[in-house]
Amino acid sequence: MGLFNRLFTIGKAEANAAVDKLEDPIKMTEQGIRDLKKDLDKSLQALAEVKAMAIRSKRDLSSAKSKGESYEQKAIMLIQKAEKGELEAAEADRLATEALTRKEEADAEAKRAQEEINRFDNNISNLDANVKKLKSTITRYENELRTLKARARVSKATEKINKQISGIDSSGTVSMLEKMKDKVEQQEAMSEAYGEISQENKSIDDEIDSVLDEKSANASSSLEALKAKLKNK
Amino acid sequence: MGLFDRFKKKSEPLYDSTDIRIKDLDVGFVFDYDLSNWEVQQAYEYDWGDNYFSDEYKISDGDKTLYLSVEDDDELTLSVSKKLKIKALGTAVLEQLMGSQKPPTSFEYEGERYVMEEESPGFFHDLANGKDDWEELISWTFTNENGEKLITIEQWDEKEFEASVGKYIKEFEISNILPATDR
Repeated sequence: MGLFNRLFTIGKAEANAAVDKLEDPIKMTEQGIRDLKKDLDKSLQALAEVKAMAIRSKRDLSSAKSKGESYEQKAIMLIQKAEKGELEAAEADRLATEALTRKEEADAEAKRAQEEINRFDNNISNLDANVKKLKSTITRYENELRTLKARARVSKATEKINKQISGIDSSGTVSMLEKMKDKVEQQEAMSEAYGEISQENKSIDDEIDSVLDEKSANASSSLEALKAKLKNK
Repeated sequence: MGLFDRFKKKSEPLYDSTDIRIKDLDVGFVFDYDLSNWEVQQAYEYDWGDNYFSDEYKISDGDKTLYLSVEDDDELTLSVSKKLKIKALGTAVLEQLMGSQKPPTSFEYEGERYVMEEESPGFFHDLANGKDDWEELISWTFTNENGEKLITIEQWDEKEFEASVGKYIKEFEISNILPATDR
């Protein structure tokens, strides 16, 4: 029994090792994908940051544009006022020049914002392409892993079933059934044997009975003989 | 356990980086909508009672500022709206609001008839503020005939009303959601 137990333990250990062989790569791949996703997350965040900067530049651009337009409008109004004689020409010119200088400043700001937007847009399309590539790669890995995991699970289940069918698994249900079948057959054989023995016993009894019957018959016949003897006397 | 959880939360983002959904949106997130990039500037939460919440985000593309409303009632209901001056709804609406603290059941706006869909009292919360900083409000939603456009009137105080006009959008119209940098 000791030897058998040990053999059995070795078998169990082998089975576990086989499962480990399958499980470890899954765990490692999962970790790998998690790491990749962390990298992806960082890239996504970087892209979001660049896009947010572009949005801010766009806001700068539109505010600079409206600022420039408003100063231009003001300069026009100043000149119109001077033409109508509501304002001194020299004063109007001074203020209008000031307004136009502000407009130039706003225009320069708008130009800078536009350049920034162009630069950001270039960066964004580059980053976007890379991030999309990374994302699709990771998604592909994830799907492959999912398929592999499902396949591993199926093969594990198949292995278990086949093992039980083939009877290698001594603690399995199939072998239990086999054992029970053996036991029942043994019991049946036993009861049959007892039946045979009891039949044999009966025949011995019969023999004895028949012998005994012979004796009693003999005895009764000798009694008759004795009776006859006495009568004859 | 609590401490461990906190560590875990920090290293692993709450969203799936390969599949960031609208429900993951937060301040600093950037997404594509209507051929433009939008940045989430502020996030708000509404509590309508009975454990029913909805989210709202203030979004900007640099030119415009809009409000994206996200309701998750078995399926996602999204709408994008812009603030509207209450007087743009007409003096009749304004007078009724001020007089009876209630809007009419229908009104016209830009040549279209809007009919009241629901009246919901609730609480509003700016996520940038403290956790218990909730403001009470009543919100009325009106939709146009084909149900594509909506106008919302919100009452914040006896004489304080806000309105917004917008349209319902589909989930796919918002794409390319990018996360905010970890803070």
